[in-house]
Amino acid sequence: MTGRLNIHRRAVLLFAYCFLAGWVLTGSEKAWPSPMAEIPAGEFTIGEAVSENSLEKRTVNLEAFFMDTHEVTNAEFSGQFPQHTFYPGAEPHPVSLVTWDEARQYCALLGKRLPSEAEWEKSARGPEGRIYPWGNKAPRKKPHPYYSGLIKRRVGLNRNDISYYGLNDMAGSVWEWTGEQVDGKIVVRGGLWNLHLDYEYSKTFERNLLDPDRRFPFLGFRCARSK
Amino acid sequence: MITRRTFLARWLKTLLVFLWAFFRKPFSGWGEGDYFSATGFVGKTRSGDYEKFYINYWKPMRRIQAERWKLEVQGLCKHPRTFTLEQIKTFPVKTRSSRLKCVECWSARAEWRGFAIAEIEKRVEPLAEAAGVIFYCADSYKEYLSRENLNREETLLAYNMDGKPLTDEHGFPLRIIIPFKYGYKNPKAILKMEYVANMQPGTWSKIGPYSSDGTILPGYDHPLDLGKKPHRIPGGEILHY
Repeated sequence: MTGRLNIHRRAVLLFAYCFLAGWVLTGSEKAWPSPMAEIPAGEFTIGEAVSENSLEKRTVNLEAFFMDTHEVTNAEFSGQFPQHTFYPGAEPHPVSLVTWDEARQYCALLGKRLPSEAEWEKSARGPEGRIYPWGNKAPRKKPHPYYSGLIKRRVGLNRNDISYYGLNDMAGSVWEWTGEQVDGKIVVRGGLWNLHLDYEYSKTFERNLLDPDRRFPFLGFRCARSK
Repeated sequence: MITRRTFLARWLKTLLVFLWAFFRKPFSGWGEGDYFSATGFVGKTRSGDYEKFYINYWKPMRRIQAERWKLEVQGLCKHPRTFTLEQIKTFPVKTRSSRLKCVECWSARAEWRGFAIAEIEKRVEPLAEAAGVIFYCADSYKEYLSRENLNREETLLAYNMDGKPLTDEHGFPLRIIIPFKYGYKNPKAILKMEYVANMQPGTWSKIGPYSSDGTILPGYDHPLDLGKKPHRIPGGEILHY
């Protein structure tokens, strides 16, 4: 009898715990609507000696931080900036045609910020120093080949383009603003390179530099947050 | 009678011919032919003077006579009208050096002289609902550009190239230069402009795997004036070479 009561008590306590945990998590989601992954503190390899489009290879130590698991979507962005327009049906596509300042403002409104270049690379590369977010092998299947333009898709649709920490679209989809400036230009990371009607995924250490006031259809962003 | 020596000699000759055919450089006359020079027509050309700046046309077309040419501007504007070549050359001059980047992977730089579209808009006064312009060209090519992009600082309507009037090959007498878009968004040999309310796909986007937007994407370029050596480009106008 005592055992049964204990079981009931335990069940009630478990229910209350789950309810409170759910409430706390829901509260968190209100503050940071898009899901984030925790990137643990520690050292990782940044850069690659063989690439002229990357930082010099070295070891960097970072504090723990959180990173959006997917790029900010049109629907999410227009929730904060109602004047942002997009074609019907493009709500789950990555937002684009936003300047660096607009990307920064969006993140700040949600209590977040743009990731540093090192944070971005660690999130994509993982502790193993992967060449691509999914590993070291280039995929046999090209991202939307034989088309001169960019085909936008729902964020997270590409099940292969997932990093060690569970972040989506870090090699494909659109390029992403970071918070890093170099000689007045902003470091952008992680989109597709066009090879005349064919495309290749960015490697985790490749970078691109763009002027902060530019709006491009191939350029979006995701946010980060310190722990 | 075939002896072992003659058999080996023949075999060796055959091998040498095969190796020569395999490794030889193609004769200059074996490439794409120069079909249009000294004719009354103009069309796709990549030889002679145009090895350093390829020429693409949608269809071969009859060369335009300057005295007969008029630019017709119509559609959603208050004062539709036509302009002669002499009239457009009186507009304030805008000069810009920019690189034309083709979606075929090559590019070439030139100094373009012409005027801003604002000069035309002052005179025809587009209506508020006019979002863009369709350009109709002498080779039956058609392309749409938004007014927002046409009015950007980088964009101009050009009638001169590297200090000389545009050649027929480069789009005499008038062409668009919009250097952050691929070449197929830079219509040439323009005959008519029509102000419209909505975006419409151009000729190239309709027939092939080419985006209507046409913004230059991050990727690789093979500049003809720099020996076709591959250069990585960040997207948008190519500024660094």
